[in-house]
Amino acid sequence: MFDSISFLRVIKTGATNFVRNLWLSMAATMVMTITLVIFSTLFLLFVLTNYSIKTIQNTVDISVYFKIGLAEEQINNIKTEISQDPKVKEVVYVSATRAFEDFKAKHQNDQLIMQSLNELNENPLPATFHIKANNLEDYPAVAEKMQSEKYGSFVDKVNFEDNRVIIERLTKVLKFIITFGLALFAVFALIAILVIYNTITLTIYNRKEEVEIMRLVGATNWYIRGPFLIESLLYSIFSTVITGLLFIPVFTKIIPAVTNYVSPQVSLYNNSVFNYAYLLVILFGLSVVLSISSTFLAVRKYLKI
Amino acid sequence: MIKFENVVKKYNHQRALDGINLQVHRGEFVSLVGLSGAGKSTLLKLIIREEIIDGGKIFIDDVDITKVKKSDLPYLRRKIGMVFQDIKLLPRRTAFENVAFAMEVCGHRLNKIKVEVPKILDLVGLLHKRDSFPHEMSGGEKQRVAIARALSHRPLLLLADEPTGNLDEVNAAEVIDLLMKINQLGTTVILATHAADLVNKIKKRVITMEGGKITIEQQKGKYKL
Repeated sequence: MFDSISFLRVIKTGATNFVRNLWLSMAATMVMTITLVIFSTLFLLFVLTNYSIKTIQNTVDISVYFKIGLAEEQINNIKTEISQDPKVKEVVYVSATRAFEDFKAKHQNDQLIMQSLNELNENPLPATFHIKANNLEDYPAVAEKMQSEKYGSFVDKVNFEDNRVIIERLTKVLKFIITFGLALFAVFALIAILVIYNTITLTIYNRKEEVEIMRLVGATNWYIRGPFLIESLLYSIFSTVITGLLFIPVFTKIIPAVTNYVSPQVSLYNNSVFNYAYLLVILFGLSVVLSISSTFLAVRKYLKI
Repeated sequence: MIKFENVVKKYNHQRALDGINLQVHRGEFVSLVGLSGAGKSTLLKLIIREEIIDGGKIFIDDVDITKVKKSDLPYLRRKIGMVFQDIKLLPRRTAFENVAFAMEVCGHRLNKIKVEVPKILDLVGLLHKRDSFPHEMSGGEKQRVAIARALSHRPLLLLADEPTGNLDEVNAAEVIDLLMKINQLGTTVILATHAADLVNKIKKRVITMEGGKITIEQQKGKYKL
């Protein structure tokens, strides 16, 4: 399309266009930045809420405590049956012996407990199932099933911590973020397109004579179009950089704080650095799509080549 | 070099050119005369494909230019220089820069431009004005800069559309002299004009147009209507 010297000249002319209409260029960059900030906020809220929901979902499970003295075989049979239930994702079986050993290991430094354990002739701890369902809605049904007549005689107690209310609330928040956020984003994306369209149209108008002469002396169409595309590419680059800078504190402070609150044991710091680069790439891609498409519209309409 | 075969061009159903047959040979100087609206400008515009014809064929060196792809048009235009009545210089650039601009946009390297532009400005007799802006030059000088710009690609063909239209007698004579000099150096020139005295001075081929048709052709002609 271009040899290197023409390519350099196109970039130079594009940069000159940007500087010559500095105020307009800044306005276009600002609107694009606002659009990107809205998008980033939306994106991060979505990711964080989603992450929180997943994390809380993972903490939900049903603990089933069996009666003491059941045969291993019986319990294994029940496990096989339960595992086959399509609602059940996994069943973790902790045998009585295992539970006892874990308990001892946990309290090995506690003289009093160790002593009292030694006094016992048999294992006081029950065998346990930790059941995870495939879907959140399935938990009550699974819990009920474990208490039903069929298993009720083996089961001592079913413990089911119901986090569903929190999760449902978060899901609602997520839905709101998506609908409201997308609408807001659409409005600003449209404004950005219109502002850039007008800015480029004005640049074309300012350079009308040059364009006419370029055409007459035989500049290629890409050579004539190029500077306008470069100009709008500059809007993209600047707005991405500004948005990126604005979001550094979000990534270094806010996200670690939130993830730490939701799941203290997992450090997401490295993860969020990766996400930051990822977000920048998305932002740049998005702004390029917006600015280049509006430039193409303006060029098609007003640049007669 | 150029051949028009039964060329028709319409603007809103009105025939601006009505069956033009014309042949121009390499190295010729052709004056195209006629009143405004006779179709002179249209004919020149068709050669650089500013306008698209509605019938017939136009050949430049056996290439049918009506079939040249749009993306190849710039390369066609680099073989043809054109100057206009309204000159079309960039006001914020010097004479040197105006000529250099044409070479820049066609991808010539800076060191070539630095060598070539002074040569061309010298050819049109304006080397001493290389750093002057258009508003610091006379009409004739400006038109000569425009001619220099048109010559920057060393075109085989130079089209001049009423180049003296806005100039006084002295300046007009300067421009015509320059066109004749360029023609003597080997470039084919087609001059569209309605200035009778200039054409009579040139004493070369004259083609008279009226109402989109060629009415008179003379080899060493005079302007007559």
